[in-house]
Amino acid sequence: MTIAVLIIVAVVSVFCVRLVDIQIVQADSLNAISLASRSDSTVTLGTRGDIVDANGVVLATSILRYAIEADPSAVAEFERPGPDGTGEVKVSAEQAIGELASVMGLEPSVVTAIVTADPTSRYALISKSVDVTTYNAIRALDIPWLYYKADQSRTYPDGSVAGNLVGFVGADGSALAGTELTQNACLAGSDGSEVTETGEDGVAIPGSTVTLKKAVDGGKVQLTINADLQYFAQEALAQRVTEVGAESGTVVVTEAKTGKILTAAEYPTVDPNNVDATDPAFRGAKVFSDPFEPGSTFKSITAASLIDAGAATPSSQVMAPYEYKSGSAVIHDSFFHPDMPWTLTGVIEQSSNTGISMLSNNMSVDQRWDYMNKFHLGKPTEVGFVGEDSGDILPGGVSGPTQLDDQTIYNTTFGQGLTVTAVQMASAYQAIANNGVRMPVQLFEGCKHEDGTVTDAPPTSTGEQVISPQAAQDTVHMMESVATTGYAADALKIPGYRVSAKTGTAEMSNGSGAYGGAYLTSMAGMAPSDDPQYVVSVTIRKPVTITSGLAAAPVFQKVLSQALKTYRVQPSTVPAPDLPTTY
Amino acid sequence: MTNLATVPIARLGAPASAPEAEPRRRWLRPAPDAVPRARRRPRIVYAAVAIGGIAIIALAQLLLTIGLSDGAYQVSAQQAKLKDLSRTNQALSEQLTAFSSPQNLVQNAQALGMVANGNTVYLRLSDGAVLGSPAPATSANAPITANQALVPNSLLQPEPVKAAPIPDASSAPPAAAPDPSVPWQGALPSPQTH
Repeated sequence: MTIAVLIIVAVVSVFCVRLVDIQIVQADSLNAISLASRSDSTVTLGTRGDIVDANGVVLATSILRYAIEADPSAVAEFERPGPDGTGEVKVSAEQAIGELASVMGLEPSVVTAIVTADPTSRYALISKSVDVTTYNAIRALDIPWLYYKADQSRTYPDGSVAGNLVGFVGADGSALAGTELTQNACLAGSDGSEVTETGEDGVAIPGSTVTLKKAVDGGKVQLTINADLQYFAQEALAQRVTEVGAESGTVVVTEAKTGKILTAAEYPTVDPNNVDATDPAFRGAKVFSDPFEPGSTFKSITAASLIDAGAATPSSQVMAPYEYKSGSAVIHDSFFHPDMPWTLTGVIEQSSNTGISMLSNNMSVDQRWDYMNKFHLGKPTEVGFVGEDSGDILPGGVSGPTQLDDQTIYNTTFGQGLTVTAVQMASAYQAIANNGVRMPVQLFEGCKHEDGTVTDAPPTSTGEQVISPQAAQDTVHMMESVATTGYAADALKIPGYRVSAKTGTAEMSNGSGAYGGAYLTSMAGMAPSDDPQYVVSVTIRKPVTITSGLAAAPVFQKVLSQALKTYRVQPSTVPAPDLPTTY
Repeated sequence: MTNLATVPIARLGAPASAPEAEPRRRWLRPAPDAVPRARRRPRIVYAAVAIGGIAIIALAQLLLTIGLSDGAYQVSAQQAKLKDLSRTNQALSEQLTAFSSPQNLVQNAQALGMVANGNTVYLRLSDGAVLGSPAPATSANAPITANQALVPNSLLQPEPVKAAPIPDASSAPPAAAPDPSVPWQGALPSPQTH
């Protein structure tokens, strides 16, 4: 009797000890093991923000792509529901591979090679990125040895329209160029993570989801670009560039009153969906990153400076020779002519290098450089685009403009011996078009977050008076003579509108301090001349069949007409002033 | 300890005014038992209520759990459906945005025989004046011609969406000769807003 009691007591105490051991001593570690087998940790994706144009047209957006992975060790015959939904049919490994290959558009031998490379392996990558349609088709095959992983990818619905500005991301999703890189801080989202307890069949236990970190979506970047106008400009430019056998070209359209860039077209332009198809030299935004010697389009800036400083008026007279010598400098005009009695208007209309050089003697070199600085040349614009160049208005590394040699002093009056970017040139013309007020160059409207707040919006600015309103209007009117009686007048006319423009044919440096016989032809101007609304600046590099401003003129005319049409600018009603070109 | 049960009631404090005329000895007796029938019935009711309550609670708990886990399956199924639908949504919006790209639209417009007119003309409502120089658009003076090679969009590969076939020229309405002068007669219709 006592022995039986003792045995029972002993057994019960063993159980008690074990119970305490499991329930109290080891409780934490056992719970952790249990939780680990139940819980399922997932990464919630923070979506990268969109890039849209001024009207909200999506230029870049995030989409899901799927990686298709296989478990080679499990490749074998399997069963799946029959095509009529009843019963099971056997599917051999070869048949499954064949079906998979045909859905993915691959050769069956390619898939076979991937899954049989190492039959003991548990992992083989069949495709890094397939689209949703293909993914759905693959899942419908019900192949048990396939695994899928969703990943974010980028798509650019308009292709190469504004591709130079939008930029692109790498295969790993990191920003590589353009707005994608410049505005990466706004666009980038951050992934979150959450843990859910699931049952044996993978169904989540209600109320068990714990968010460890909330996913944050990236902001939306709005550009000032008008995608339709940008497309038009790219198409018009590309056709002209190929027509004249040129190497490349740019078109910049800005709004005269605000300094907003409406179009910054280039040819060639990268298609961000297919970056590899484009020569690496043309994957960036050359309008910001590639400075050039502007040539005669710069004469308008010199003339505007002269008038503002009181050193000249539109009717200032100069007897312009074909060849002008001063000190060690020798200046030629681009065409031979006897000494001509031109006014400053005539010098602009005829694009006389000797005339503008002689008239610029009325103004000190330092003063001219002050104006260049006020026109914001030689420093990057307010946009701060990735890889933006500042241009160079102090060539040769000299310490100041007074140290320049005679030739360069005169060359800079007609845009040789200094460099600007296409956007800087358009900005200087914007100041002339806007009664002398230069507005900060703007490409980004700001970063719009999910909750509707906007950050990084450019500060509102009333601009900077670079030259007097009178000097600006005089310059616009002088440039009008280029479009009415200059050599490219026929190509520049827009019915119903008064147009101001300036041609340019710059000799390009061959990279070793000399001019190499290649030209950069350009055309810059604004319309309507009675109250300029839009500024267009076109450059075409190394044209072969036409090497004058005529190469760029048709593009200028088409893009300016399209801008006037797009923004419903009313035709001019006031006739052009008749400024004398000779005396 | 005094056995209270044996103490006569009178001693315990009978009313002073009680007549003591007849000193009768009254002893406490055990209280008679409650009627056995009346007490037994409530016990069964209580037990039944308690057990029934427990059963109901257990049943409710069971149903709740069943409902909850059923809900979990529903949630899971709906989430899978949502995922499927958002995938379909994404595939379709991808297509739509590619179709609405300027390259595709211009190409289709051209395939339909449409030509952009480079001449902008405005009609001024205040006096009916025609601003600008009207001129018919011809394919020869179209400002641009769509060319996929020049402004590529690889999303439209291998080829852009086909537009509807061009209607037969004979069935198209005859083109009216443009009349550049558009005289306006009578008052202009304008909304009467105040």
